[in-house]
Amino acid sequence: MAEKKVATKKDTEPKIGVYVCHCGSNIAGTVDVPQVVEFAKGLPAVAIAREYKFMCSDPGQSMIKDDIKQLGLNRVVVASCSPLLHEPTFRHAIQEAGLNPYLFEMANIREHCSWTTEDHGEATEKAKALVSAAVKRIYLHQPLEVREVPVNPNTLIVGGGIAGIQAALEIADAGHKVYLVEKDPSIGGHMIQFDKTFPTLDCSACILTPKMTSAGSHPNIELMTYSEVEEIAGFIGSFKAKIRKKAKFVDESKCNGCGVCIEKCPWKADSEFDLGLSQRKAIYTPFPQAVPNIPVIDKESCAYFLKGKCRACEKFCEREAIDFEQQDKIVEIDVGNIIITTGYDPFDPTPIIKYGYGKFPNVVTGLEFERICNSVGPTGGKIVLKDGSEPKSIAIIHCVGSRDENYHKYCSRVCCMYALKYSHLIKEKTKADVYQMYIDMRCFGKGYEEFYQRLSDEGVTFIRGKPAEVTDRAISEEEKGKLIVVGEDSLLGTVIRVPVDMVILCIALEARADAKNVAQLFSISQGADAFFIERHPKLDPVATMTDGVFIAGCCQGPKDIPDTVAQASAAAARVLALISKGKVELEATVAVIDEEKCSGCRICNLLCPYNAIDFIEEEEVSRINDALCKGCGTCVAACPSAAITHKHFTTEEIMAEIEGVLV
Amino acid sequence: MNFEPKIVGFCCNWCSYRGADLAGTARMKCSPNVRIIRVMCSGRVEPTFVVKAFELGADGVLVLGCHAGDCHYSEGNYKTMRRMPLLKKMLAQMGIEEERVRLDWVSASEGDRFVSIVDDMTAKVRALGPFKNNSKEAKHG
Amino acid sequence: MEIATPMKETTDIILEKGGNPLELCYQCGLCTGVCPWNRLTSFTLRKLIHKSQLGVVDFEDEELWRCVGCNACVDRCPRDVEIPHIMRALRRVIIEVGAGIVPHSLRISEKNISAVGNPLGEPPEKRMDWAKDLGVKTFTKGTEILYFPCCYQTYDPPAQKTALATIDILKKAAVDFGIPDNNVVCCGESIRKAGAESLFQRLAKTNIDIFAELGVKKILVTSPHCYHTFKDEYPELGANYEVIHLSQYLADLIKDGRIKLTKELNKKVTYHDSCCLGRYQGIYDEHREILNSIPGLDFVEMPEMREYSLCCGGCAGRLWMESKKGERLSELRLEQVLEVGANTLAISCPYCMANFNDGVISMDKAGVLEVKDISELVAEAL
Repeated sequence: MAEKKVATKKDTEPKIGVYVCHCGSNIAGTVDVPQVVEFAKGLPAVAIAREYKFMCSDPGQSMIKDDIKQLGLNRVVVASCSPLLHEPTFRHAIQEAGLNPYLFEMANIREHCSWTTEDHGEATEKAKALVSAAVKRIYLHQPLEVREVPVNPNTLIVGGGIAGIQAALEIADAGHKVYLVEKDPSIGGHMIQFDKTFPTLDCSACILTPKMTSAGSHPNIELMTYSEVEEIAGFIGSFKAKIRKKAKFVDESKCNGCGVCIEKCPWKADSEFDLGLSQRKAIYTPFPQAVPNIPVIDKESCAYFLKGKCRACEKFCEREAIDFEQQDKIVEIDVGNIIITTGYDPFDPTPIIKYGYGKFPNVVTGLEFERICNSVGPTGGKIVLKDGSEPKSIAIIHCVGSRDENYHKYCSRVCCMYALKYSHLIKEKTKADVYQMYIDMRCFGKGYEEFYQRLSDEGVTFIRGKPAEVTDRAISEEEKGKLIVVGEDSLLGTVIRVPVDMVILCIALEARADAKNVAQLFSISQGADAFFIERHPKLDPVATMTDGVFIAGCCQGPKDIPDTVAQASAAAARVLALISKGKVELEATVAVIDEEKCSGCRICNLLCPYNAIDFIEEEEVSRINDALCKGCGTCVAACPSAAITHKHFTTEEIMAEIEGVLV
Repeated sequence: MNFEPKIVGFCCNWCSYRGADLAGTARMKCSPNVRIIRVMCSGRVEPTFVVKAFELGADGVLVLGCHAGDCHYSEGNYKTMRRMPLLKKMLAQMGIEEERVRLDWVSASEGDRFVSIVDDMTAKVRALGPFKNNSKEAKHG
Repeated sequence: MEIATPMKETTDIILEKGGNPLELCYQCGLCTGVCPWNRLTSFTLRKLIHKSQLGVVDFEDEELWRCVGCNACVDRCPRDVEIPHIMRALRRVIIEVGAGIVPHSLRISEKNISAVGNPLGEPPEKRMDWAKDLGVKTFTKGTEILYFPCCYQTYDPPAQKTALATIDILKKAAVDFGIPDNNVVCCGESIRKAGAESLFQRLAKTNIDIFAELGVKKILVTSPHCYHTFKDEYPELGANYEVIHLSQYLADLIKDGRIKLTKELNKKVTYHDSCCLGRYQGIYDEHREILNSIPGLDFVEMPEMREYSLCCGGCAGRLWMESKKGERLSELRLEQVLEVGANTLAISCPYCMANFNDGVISMDKAGVLEVKDISELVAEAL
C-alpha cells in the first residue's frame, strides 16, 4: 500500500471547538459543566466552547456540524463519555461536516471523572484537566488517511461442532469457500454425543447428522478433519493460516468407508467418543455416522506402530487405501476472516472427592449418561448400573463444578435443563425414582419453564440443596448396598439422606484446556473464566478485539444449542457482510519511520510483534509495512534515534497531553 | 489545605483503559488524582514521557498495561516490563523516589483492581508529599 | 439434628388420595405468605407441601387440620396447585390409613353427620320443623325450585332466620318452590374437606337418590357450601342440577321488579365475601347490587374484599373445631368491619354467620354490631 504523505505544515491556524456534554445528570450531576465551558473558552486556539444535554444526540451532533460550517472550526473536542463508546459517532459527524475524522479528540469526563468522583469540586477540577489535555493535544493533530484493503472471500472456521457446522453451511450456501478445521477424525462435536435435546426431546443425531452430511458434501466446504491450526499471520481481509493435517494413515482419496479394516483390526482401545465406556479398534471412526466416513489409525494402540507387525487392515483393504508411511502435512491457506468455534471441555469431577466419582462405579457424569441413554451407546440405550441391572432410584446432582468458588464461579446454563431431560429419559425407560438435587432451577429459555413444569408432573422429586457427599456407609437397613446422597434439604431445614442406585453429576462446561494457546494463536483474549471474550458483551457478542476473528458457541461461554446456533449464524452473517463489502478500512494510526533519521540499528525489527518492520539491506534502513502494523507504538518508544512516528500518538501529542492534564 | 497529588496515568487502550471505564460504569468511587492519558499499548510509554511529567509538575506517574500474556499486541507489555526497572534506576539518580512511579496490570474486567491501584498510589504519593522537582534543579544546577 | 429420608411410598399414598397437583409445587412459598393463618400464628404451608412431596409428613401434627380451604393461596398459586386438595388428601391418609389422630371436636361432628345426617346431632325427623307453621309446600314432582337450606339453617336458631327470611321473600315474589322432606342429609361439603371421603360419598348418594326420585332440576340454596358441592362435586357422582344461590336469585328478582324494596333501613352495612361463594365461584357483584338497592342503607366496603376477602375460618370442618383465643380469623375480620364503621355485617353463608356471631360475643360488641344474612336485610326492606 502506498504510504500517504503526512501533512507537515498546517494550512491554517487551528480553530478549536469544545463541546461539554451533560449526559443528562450523569456528568452534570457531579461536574459543574458551565465552569468547565468557561475554562475551555480561555484555552489557546479555542474558538468556541459550548455545553449541551446530550452531545451524542442528533441536535448535539448538528450543533458541532453547524459550528464547523459557520465558524470555520477545524478541530473538535467533545468532553463526554469514553471514546471507546462514542469516538466513532463524533468522528463520523465531523467527517460529514467536511473535516478529517482524526481532527477530533474526546475527553472522558464521565467514566473517568463524574462516575468515579464523589466530590463535585474535585470532579470539576479533574474535568478541566482532561479538557485541557484534549485541547493541547488536538492542537497538534494531523489529518490522516484511512486505508482500505480487499477482503479475501474465503473463511477459516476452527472447530467442527454444531457452531462450526452451522456457520460453515451459512457461508458456503451464500456461495463462498469455507475451510472447516476439526481436530478429531469426524465433525459433530459434543452435540453428536448427546441422546435427546431439551426441551423438545428430539434426537440429537437426527437433527445433526443431516447438517454434518451437508457440510461433508458441500462443494464450497473443504473439510479438514484430524487437523489443527498451527500458525496465523496477516490481518482482517488477508490472513494466512498454516494447518497441520495429522496423518490418518488412510488415503482419503482411495478409501470408500467400507469399514472392513475396522472389522478386521484385532486391536482395541478405549473409545474417546463413549468416554471410555466402550472400546473401539486401533483403526476407527469415532462413531458410525462419522463425517467424513474415513477411518484413522491410532498409533498409540496399533500393533504395527507399537510392535512392527500386524497390518491386518492393509491386507483386507481392497482399495489399497492404508498407508503406513503417511506423514503429517502442513497446508497453507489464505482467508479473509476466521470464526472460532472450539467449544468446551466437560468438567472433570474427580477433584470433588466427596461425590465419589471414580470411586463408586455408579457415579457417572452427565456426558457419560448421555452415552448410556444413547441407543448406539455402550449399553445400547439401556439405563443400567455397572452390573447390568436396572436402577430403582437415581439422584441427579446439579451444579457440579459450577457456581462454586472452588471450581467455576459461573453458572453453566445448560445443566438444569439436561438434568430435567435425564429425568424424562429415566422415567421413560425405567421405573426408577428420580431425585433432582438442585440449588436453583434455572429454566430461562423458550419452552424451558414449561418443560420444568411438565417434568414436575412426571413425578420427579426436587430437593433443594447442594449435597455434601455421596457415600456407601449405610446407617439403616434400607441404605445397605446403596449410594446415599447426603445433604441439607434447605426447604425442609433438615439433613436429608437419599439412598439411590445411581448418581448423575451435572458437570460444568469449562473452557478448553488449550484455550490459552488458541487465544494466543488468534490474538484474542480470555476472561477470568478462561472463555474467549467478545468485543462487547451486549452489543458485539460474536466479534473479538481482533478484527476479522469471530467467536461462536461454547468457546465464548457455556450455552445451549439454540444460542450456539444463533451465535454461529450471527458470526457467519458478520463474515458475509465483510465479504460482500469486499474491502475493510484499516486503522490509520500506524507507525512510520523517517528514513533520514533511521540509523539502521534494527532494534525495532526485533521488537515488532507482527514482523511488520523489514530491514532494507541496500539502504541500511528499516521500513514499516503499514498493512501489517497494528499501531501499538512499541517500536516508537524504543527507537534510540527517535526516527519513528506513531501517527495520532506522536511524542509531541502525548507530551502536550501530559502538559494539559497537569494544569 | 491538604496536599492533593497530581498523578499522570498512562493506560493502554485494550485492557487498563477499559478497566478504568468499567470502574466508572460500575460507579465505583476512586481518588480523582490520577488523570489518564490513553496510549494504544503500554509499550508506547517512553521513559521521556515519565521524566516530562515530573518536569511539568506531576507528583507521580502510573503506567497500566494488560496482564502478562494478555497484551493485545502479543508482547508490548513485556517491553514495558523490561523498560521500567531501567527507568526507575535513572529516576532514582535524579532524586525521584521509587514510589512515585508505578507499573501495574489491569484487565478490562478489573474495574475494582483499577480503583484499588489508583487509591493506593494516591495514598502513597500523598504521604511522600509534593514532588520538589529536584531533577529540574539538578539539571539546571 | 433430625435426618429425613424420602419415603416414596408415602408420597404415592398421598397422591392416590387426591394430592395430585402436589408435584407441581416449586416451593416459592407464596401460599405461606398469602395464608391468613400467618397473620395469627405460624403455618408454613409451603413446607407441609414439600414434606408431602418427600413423603416425610408428621401425621400426628395438628397443623394438618389448620387449612380451611379458603383458596386464597390457590387463587394466587403460580403453578395452579390445588392446595386444599393436598390438605384433604393428607387428612384422608389420617382417617383411612390411621396414620394420625383426628381432633376430638371434629370427630364428634363427623359421628353426628354419619349417624343422624347433620353435624349438630339433631334428630333427622325434626329437620323441617322450622317450616311447620309457614304453610310451605314440600317439594313434589313438577315443582319448579327446590329450596335446600343448610343443616344450620334448619336447626340453629340464629341461622334459621335466613331460611325464614328466604321463605318470606319467595312467597312475596310468588315463586313456585318446595322444601325437601326430613329424609335429606347434610350436603357433605365440609366433612369431605376434613378428609372423610367415604362419609361424603354416602351423604351425596343419599341426597342424589332423593333428588332423582323427586325429579329435582333446580336447587336454590342459602349456603355457599351446599352451592359448591351440589354444583361442582355431585357431578363427580353423575348428578347434574341447576344450582342457584339466593343472592343470585334475589338480584334477579329485584332487577325484574318481582320484589320491591320500599322500606328504609337506616343501617351502615358492610359485606363479607365468603370464600366459597367468592373465590370459589366468582360471585361478588350480586350482593353489592342487592345492598345498594335497599333504601336508606349506607353500604361501605372493607379494604379486603371480593377475591381478597379474609376468610372467617369456618370451612373444612374448622367450624367444629376449637380455635384458641387470639387464633380466630373471624375476630380479625370483625376488627376490619369495625374499622370501616359499620354497624351491620352482611353475610350470605351460615358458617360465616356462626363464626361472626361467636366473635361479636367474645369481642363484647353485641350492642355495636349485628350480623345479618343478606336475605334478612332484604326481607326487612320489603
